Amino acid sequence: MIVKKEEERSLEIVITEEEINKKVVQLGYLISQDYAQAKELVIIAVLRGSVYFAVDLSRQLTIPFTLDFIGISSYGTSSDPLGIVRITKDLDTNIAQKNVLLIEDIVDTGLTLNYLLKNLRTRNPLSLRVCTFLDMPGRRIAAVPVDYRGFEMSDMFVVGYGLDYNERYRNLKVIAVLK
Amino acid sequence: MAVITISRQFGSGGEIIAQLVSQKLDYLLINKASISEKLQKYGITEPEFTLFDEKKIILDTHDNVDELETHYHRYLEALHEFFFDLAIRENLVILGRAGQILFKDFPPALHIKIVAPLKNRLKRVQKLYNLDEAAAARLISEQDRDRQEYLRYVFGYSWYDLDLYHLVINTGIMGLEESSILIMEASRLKSTTDNVSVEDFDEQLIHDNLQVSPILDAAGKPPAFAHPSEEKFAKMLDFYQIKWLYEPKTFPLQWDSEGNITEAFSPDFYLPDQDLFVELTTQKQKLVWKKNKKIRRLKELNPDVNIKIIYGRDYRGLLQKYGIEEKDDTQESGDSSQESE
Repeated sequence: MIVKKEEERSLEIVITEEEINKKVVQLGYLISQDYAQAKELVIIAVLRGSVYFAVDLSRQLTIPFTLDFIGISSYGTSSDPLGIVRITKDLDTNIAQKNVLLIEDIVDTGLTLNYLLKNLRTRNPLSLRVCTFLDMPGRRIAAVPVDYRGFEMSDMFVVGYGLDYNERYRNLKVIAVLK
Repeated sequence: MAVITISRQFGSGGEIIAQLVSQKLDYLLINKASISEKLQKYGITEPEFTLFDEKKIILDTHDNVDELETHYHRYLEALHEFFFDLAIRENLVILGRAGQILFKDFPPALHIKIVAPLKNRLKRVQKLYNLDEAAAARLISEQDRDRQEYLRYVFGYSWYDLDLYHLVINTGIMGLEESSILIMEASRLKSTTDNVSVEDFDEQLIHDNLQVSPILDAAGKPPAFAHPSEEKFAKMLDFYQIKWLYEPKTFPLQWDSEGNITEAFSPDFYLPDQDLFVELTTQKQKLVWKKNKKIRRLKELNPDVNIKIIYGRDYRGLLQKYGIEEKDDTQESGDSSQESE
């Protein structure tokens, strides 16, 4: 039985706005250094959660890049008769022989990322790396590589900075646990 | 137009029956030879056809995986387009090639399955291909496996799913000629009782309905889940195209003095691509210790085995992430400290 609860829930801040800003600056610096010599960097933000992080992070980059977006259907919210994940918004960029940095808001089970990486690899990028704002390795089911991570967290349900609960709380400037 | 699909176990005589039916009814027979020739019009060459026909292609074993995958999908699309194009214009007898699934929701279609006991199939295959018994058994086993995997891999259907057929005929107890007559009679009866014309047929409906597949594990078997949460978990893995097997292995944990196993443990899932066993437990937290103890013992005895336990709270967290909240299966309250069984 599936029940969607809509009632008000209380929030407890676990990562402050200041901590987030500091981390984004650090990641931006690190990525700019790593890709300083690389040609044709394509940054792919996974819709929709990572958009906030991708925008902030990209503003910290000192290297040229192309920004693109990819969207895939999510288990539970998809009414797709296929019953399997599918791309809901594909890239506008051809990534063949380009350096690709995939931006995720959170990597937990690794199921979504596993599918995305498999899909993107078939397009023959020159390199393919992953940058996630949050990493929850304790929830991992599919082993996936994470090259850059903002914060590693234990298993808890968090919202804010792009992460939602039934489309709510995305615009919070902090990361909070939903009580 | 009318379509009769004939699925067959290798060596059951299905090919002869299909020929007899097509000749007697003057229907176009779609078998290996006719497809191979006609698919060229759809851009599929003979080598591709031979490589892909009624087989699951294991892409990982090939060097040029991406190219092969593209060709394989192109082949499948061309084959299906070819069938649908023909069905609009001609009366067809389709031998194999998953016709029973492609035309599952095509109202005028009649779906037949031809089976025979192994001993009869062995005899027939030995005679037809001039083989000894062992070679015939190998050939039967290979051909059956290819067809089973093709159905499962491409369409998510089990070869053993009898719901797909109007009629199953055993040629071990019925002759080929009589079988063909039975099929023609079934076809006649069906055409007199069906009032749906091909014009009413919505091709899109076929494609949509094709996608609703039963839950099968990576070996194509429908598992008997012990708990609804396991089925939900399997559906989630399917959604993200993660291969899984349900309780494929039992690990002995304790033995008595005579070496008999006194305690064993079977993790719920094995994910072959991750080389990971997953145990899903929705028991009350205070009852989980017993299971934890077993898993600790399992890891002591098998240090190389990767196993992950998903506890009730983790599982609900997982569902919560996807906007789903699981109603407590035990009718217990919504108290977060209460775990559903």
